Order: sequence, then C-alpha cells, then structure tokens
Amino acid sequence: MKSQSRSTLVRSLALHAVLIPLAIIWLFPLWMMLVFATMPDYGIFSPQIELLPSTHFLENLSNLQADTDFIRALMISVSVAIVYTILSVLLTSMAGWALARYQFVGKSLVIAIILGTITLPYFVVVIPQFIMVAREFKMANTWIALIVPPLFNSLGVLFMRQAFSMMPAELFDAARVEGVKEWQIFLRIALPLARPTMAALAIILFLASWNNYLWPLLINSRPGMLTAPVALGTLIGLTKVSWGGIMAGAVMLTAPILVIFILLQRHFIAGIAAGAIK
Amino acid sequence: MQLRNRAAYGFLAPYLMIFATFWIWPIISSFLMSFQNTRVNPWVFSLGANWGRLFNDPAFYNALKNTMIILIVQVPVMITLATVMAVLLNSPLLKARGLFRFAFFAPVVVGEVAYAAVFRLMFNLDFGIINKLLNSVGIPSISWFAEAPAAMALLIIAVTWRWAGYNAIIILAGLQSIPGDVYEAATLDRVSKARQFIYITLPLLKPIILFCVILSIIGSMQLFTEPMLITNRGGPGGGTETLGLFLYRQGFTSLNFGYASAIAYTMAALAIVISLLNLWVGRDQK
Amino acid sequence: MAELSLKNVVKRFGSYEIIRNASLDVADGEFVVFVGPSGCGKSTLLRMIAGLEHITDGEIHIGDTLVNDVEPADRGIAMVFQSYALYPHMTVEQNLAFGLRMTGNPKADTDRRVQRVADILQIKELMQRRPKQLSGGQRQRVAIGRAIVREPRVFLFDEPLSNLDAELRVQMRVEISRLHKELGTTMIYVTHDQTEAMTLADKIVVLRGGNIEQIGAPLDLYDNPANQFVAGFVGSPKMNFMSAEVTATDSDNVTLTLLNQGNVRLSLPLKNPPPAIGDAVTLGVRPEHFAKAGEGVADLTIAVDVAEHLGNTSYIYANVAGGEQLIIEREESRNEIKTDTLTVAIKSSHALLFDKTGNRLR
Repeated sequence: MKSQSRSTLVRSLALHAVLIPLAIIWLFPLWMMLVFATMPDYGIFSPQIELLPSTHFLENLSNLQADTDFIRALMISVSVAIVYTILSVLLTSMAGWALARYQFVGKSLVIAIILGTITLPYFVVVIPQFIMVAREFKMANTWIALIVPPLFNSLGVLFMRQAFSMMPAELFDAARVEGVKEWQIFLRIALPLARPTMAALAIILFLASWNNYLWPLLINSRPGMLTAPVALGTLIGLTKVSWGGIMAGAVMLTAPILVIFILLQRHFIAGIAAGAIK
Repeated sequence: MQLRNRAAYGFLAPYLMIFATFWIWPIISSFLMSFQNTRVNPWVFSLGANWGRLFNDPAFYNALKNTMIILIVQVPVMITLATVMAVLLNSPLLKARGLFRFAFFAPVVVGEVAYAAVFRLMFNLDFGIINKLLNSVGIPSISWFAEAPAAMALLIIAVTWRWAGYNAIIILAGLQSIPGDVYEAATLDRVSKARQFIYITLPLLKPIILFCVILSIIGSMQLFTEPMLITNRGGPGGGTETLGLFLYRQGFTSLNFGYASAIAYTMAALAIVISLLNLWVGRDQK
Repeated sequence: MAELSLKNVVKRFGSYEIIRNASLDVADGEFVVFVGPSGCGKSTLLRMIAGLEHITDGEIHIGDTLVNDVEPADRGIAMVFQSYALYPHMTVEQNLAFGLRMTGNPKADTDRRVQRVADILQIKELMQRRPKQLSGGQRQRVAIGRAIVREPRVFLFDEPLSNLDAELRVQMRVEISRLHKELGTTMIYVTHDQTEAMTLADKIVVLRGGNIEQIGAPLDLYDNPANQFVAGFVGSPKMNFMSAEVTATDSDNVTLTLLNQGNVRLSLPLKNPPPAIGDAVTLGVRPEHFAKAGEGVADLTIAVDVAEHLGNTSYIYANVAGGEQLIIEREESRNEIKTDTLTVAIKSSHALLFDKTGNRLR
C-alpha cells in the first residue's frame, strides 16, 4: 500500500511538473496582452523586462479611439454577432429539423451536397460572394452585407439535425395523433428539447461572427462601417499609432469572449467536441 | 402523411435560399471564373490567363512551398502537443483541472486580430519580451520579422499556440468516451499503465487523431490572417506568403478575380484530396 | 365509440411487404390484442390505423368513415406509446392539455377533461410535476391519461407495458383492464407478450411475418390453434413439439412413431384427411396434457434434466435425443419427482398434430 501511494505521489508530481510550465507558456500571451494594454507606449518600448500590468488602460483606450472610431466598431461587432447568431440558429435549426425528421424528394441530395462541400476552403466562395454583394447588389458597407452572406454556414444544419434525430420519434408521433400542427411540433416540442444544443451552437456562431476578419475586411472598408477586428487590424503595421491603444483594443475584443467562455465553458467545450466528432 | 412531409420544404426553404446563393452558386461561379480572363471587359474564356499563368508563376510556387512547410512542420507538432495535453488533462491525479483546461482552451476563443497584435509585440526585435527573455539567458536576439526562417517559425509557434487547445478538446472528448472498464480489465491482467496507453488508448484514439490531423491540414492550408497581420503581409519579401495571402493579393489587391479563382481551386483540389483521404480512412475504421 | 375494420390492408416498402393483406373486424367496445414476435408487423399495423404510416393498399374504416387519407388527429383515435412519449419539458397537467390547447379547444372544456382524467387515474397530486420526477408506473398512467383526455372513439396501445418491471406490469395490466370496463371504448393493444394478450383481450390477432395467422378469443387460440406457430406462441410454458413419422392410417385414426422417443408408437383419432404413410409430422402436447403412466395413448420414459417446484405445481425439463426438450407439468406430488427417469403418458384428447409446413392435421 505504502509503495503504491508513493508511486502515485511521484506520478502526480511528474504530471504537474509538465503541466504547470506548459500552462504558464500558454497563458503568457494573454497575460502580456493585459500587461501591454495597461502600459504607456514608452513602457512597451522600454529595454527592461516588464511583466506586471500598469494603470494606463483608460488612457490607452482613448488613444485608440483617437486612431480609429473603436467604440462604434465594437457596437457594430456586437450587433452583427447577435443578429447573425439568432438568424443562423433559427435557419439552421429549421433546416436541420427538416432533414432529420421528414422524408421528401431531394432530401438525400441536399445532405450529400452539404456534406460534400463542407470542407471546401472558404476562399473558393469569397470572390464570387464579394462580386455579388459589392458589385451586383451594390451593398458594400451595409449591415446586410455583414450579416447575411455568412449565414450559408452549414455546420449548424448538421449539428441540429443530429440533435433532432436523436430525439425519440414517438414524442412527435404523440403530438401528431393529438392534432398538433407540424410547425407547432417544431416550436413547442423540438426546439425546447434542443435547447442545450442550440446554446452550444449559438456560442460557436457568436464566436465565429465576433472574430470574423476576412469577410468584413473585404466588404465593409468604409470608415464608420468597420467591425472591431477590422478596425484594429487596419492599425497593425501603421507607424504612427499607439501600440498601447491597439493592445487595449485587443483586450476589449478578447475580454467579453473570455468571460462568456468562463461562464459557459461546459457548453463551449461540448459544442466544439460535438461539432468535431459528429 | 404526404402532406406532413411537404412541411419539410417550408422548414428547409429559407436556409436553402441562403445556402444556394452564398455557397453553391459561388462554388460554381469561381470554377467558371478560373477559366476566364477577368482583366478584359467583357470577360472571355481563356485557359492560359489563369491556369497557364499559375503553373509558371514563381510567386505561386513560393506560396505553395511556404504553405506546405507550415503544414508539414506545424500539424505534427501541434497534434502531438494536443494529444499530450489531452492525456494529461484526463489524469485523475490532476489538481485544479479547471485552471489548466482554461489555460489551454482560452487561445481558441481569442480573435485572430487580437492575438496577431500581441505576437507582433512579443516578438519585436528590439523591445519584444521574447528576445529580452532570450537575452537574459544569454541567447542573442532573433530578428523574427526580418529573416524568413525565423518568420516562418514565428507563424508556426503562433498557430500552434492558438489551435493546440482546440484539438486537445476533441481528443479529450475521445479519451473520455473510452469506457473505463477496458482499463480495469487491463489492470486486472497486470498490463502496465504505459502499455495500456500504447495498446489501448492510442489505437482507440486513432480515428479521432486522424480527424484532427485532417481538420488541421485543411485549416493550416487556408492560413491567411496570421501572415497578413503578424508577419506583415507575408514578409519579409514574400518569405511567409501563404496560398491564402497570395490569393488575397491577387483577388483583392490586384482585383484579378479569375486568377484568384484558379488559386482558390488549387486549394480546393488539395482539400478534396484530403477529404477523400478522410473518407477512405473513416471507411477503413468501420 | 366505434367499430373498426381493415379490408385487405397492405404495407409495402419497395418490393418488401411488411403487411400482407390484413383483414379484421373489431366490434364496438371490443378489446383486441395484436400479438406476435418482434418484426411481425404488429406495430406497423397499429401505426397504419393511427395514420402515422401510409397504407399502400386496402381500406381502413373507423365507424363508418373510410380513413385512409384522414390525418391522425381527425380519426378519433388516441395512442399510448411504448416509451410513453411524454413531453419532458412540460408538467403533467401541460402534457394532458397540450393537444387540446394546440387545437383550440375551449379552455373550460379542456380544464374539465383534464380534471376528469386526474380523477379517473388518481394522479391529482402529480399534476405539477415533470415526467422526470415520476416513476415508471406514474408515467404510464399519465400517458394513458393523455389518451383519455382526447375522448377518442378508439384507443391504440403500442406495447405500453414493456418498459415496466414485472410486478408493475401485472398491476398496470389489471388497471388497463379495469379502464376498459369503465370507459367501454374500443381498444387495440399491441404486445409481444402472450400473457398480456391472453389476460387482456376479448379477441387476439396473432401475426407473423406480416401475415395474420389467426384471429380468435384467447381460450379458442389456446385450445384450438390454427397452426404450429400459433400453438407454440400461445401458452406458457410452451407446447411441446415432437418429431414423428406416420406409420399407418385408416379413415379415423393415424398411427405414429415418435422419432426421438425411442420409437414409441401411438394412435390418434383424426379429423382432417389423413397424411400419407411415411410423412414427417409433428406432435404437439401442452405441458399439462401429460398423464400418469398407463393413463394415455402412449407411455414415454424420459430422463429428468431439471425439476422446478413452484409449490402448486412442478415443471419437469427433459432433454431428449435430437435436441428436443420436453416440459411436463405435474400437479400430483412434490415428492414423486425425485427420480432420474420418469414415465409419463400422452393424453390423446389434447394432442395436436401438424404437417411438415406447420398446418393442423388434427
């Protein structure tokens, strides 16, 4: 018994001896983001090693606001992410429901197309999307251009279809026998039961929209219609900008997501794991 | 019955309209565009304007080479690291599990622009904390942005930092789906922990690890934001220009849509090959 | 309340027939049980009556309406499902009222009906709970309540007791029986458990491979099965089947040799046209239709494998050559059966005879 508990102790020590340094390395960039964001520019560019946060966060934020209208960009990003998430969850839930629970002509074709094209690089569609939205619809620099095209994402369809097909069929038959209409079955039974899956999906979609860079960069390039990542991105690489300001912006972009992540870690991880494993 | 199934079209229609407009049609459209000279008005069919040019363009081969180097180095390193993280996180001996999980998973949720900015500062030649730390242990500063090999290494470090935790989540989920009684049975048979890992855990994890490998290959193949923002548009001098960045430059800086489409379809061809590989490997498992 | 009839009903998936030409008449207020092994089509047939499955061919009438193309909700039926199919996110009360609310039934009437059901099933104190907080038996009761609320003309039950443990199953069986007496509504009940069928039914429909094998009252099926399948399916423990060969026939009698019993010969009176000499046949004898040695048509000496003493009766299991197992019920004595071998006689009055394809010869 004693030797066994000793070997357990040794194994435990070895485990932590590997994990603790690894975790420190992994947290280091996030920590430095905070450190940079609270430091004045002369601190960032000082020859000393600076590892502790300072107190200049608000000052940096106002420097950032002077470089670009970051508050407006944040507001656009929040609105776009919320509207996009709601719309996408709704649309993909409906489609997933149809593909999970009905037999109809064309069903296997739709599923085959979705599965067959899901790994295609986004770059394949981004050029025609850009031409269509910017040149044919003349909708560059609009809210619709930011929100609607990314709704094509079919991950949610597969995700929701999976959730709906795992529900017992008798539940919906019971409602049909009772005379409940199909859309009522969807709204009143299927959706409430799929709430955990919808939450996981919503988190992933919100994150994707919030962090989306390439599409907003292409389609909304007019000052005043920039999303927060694009606004911040335009400053990176310029010479006469406040780096403290950029880092304060990075914190503003990251902090809300990290808070959501900490609060909803379970959903987050479930979503990523399930979305990947299918 | 029949009426009931007709309701399906109602549920499907709104999504399908978006899907057809912003996914299916663009897939077809860019395929057609890759065969058109888009630098004249109106566009005309031309095989040489894009595909012919592509195979003779040193910039394309440079981008392809860079992308492949990143793929070949970064994916194995990251997947190994992710497997280690997952296995360690799954240990029953671990204390403060939540904290470690947070450390490894947090980079997944950090936006590309935010982390690009941090990495740029951290790896700055003169003021970057990394070089300062290297100097403090006697290693001379590395000019991460001015020398192509160092810049490539920087990209690989950055991408690994961001995505290792994501893969670890997936592998961890796979680990947790292995029933515990398999290990109990092995322990009763006096199989050591190390052998259990090699003969039980790894074989059972193989499909998931392969899935992660393919997902990572497809992801790294499309690398764009990191070389755009961290190494300053593929610098130094195209030393870190990836296919994604090359496409962006051709499509949206030079506005040569046909050529960019040909590049996109080269990436798609690679992705299709990898997806088929995925299917083939998956079939093998069943 | 209504009678129900099926006329040549067929269900086909491509070229595969799940239901072949099923015809059945159910009288008003009758309790009919569909029974058969899994995959026999009994649930499909029930779902076709409910309108949840499309009918490939034939007609289904409920009352005097042809309902082939009528939506489930408009057929005047209510259904109880195997998994109960209670809505997990609603309270018991909401579960009971959901269908009526969704179809715009007046609120006062809905409340009245829900109250009545709560009274009938004595589930008043459960009304605010969710399905998760109920025991298996309580869930079953709520599922039945949800059917009663609809005040249907026909109740359909799809293996409603198969998820319950043995004790509860007996209890719920009695309750369903009582409910049928109280409501007097036509009920159709699907099960794979022949005991449920025997105890509940006014009329049993035995199905196999999409065919209706026999329709009849429980004891009729027991005493007078149409073929070897029904004979073997109805009754517990099962009827014994013994391989035999016809050695002689005359106009009234047939003489057999039991192949695996050491060439025991016996004669039986015959009803149908006699089989030819040399035909392979199967003799069927229920466990309780053995007598003491010398009191029947033939004496069998068997090696006792296992004897089960249940108190009021005993079952003797004997393995014989050729893989046949005999089960013999003995009520006489608890002590008698301590021996290794036993001689029993077959009572000729209850012995059945089947031909190679399982058809009744006697």
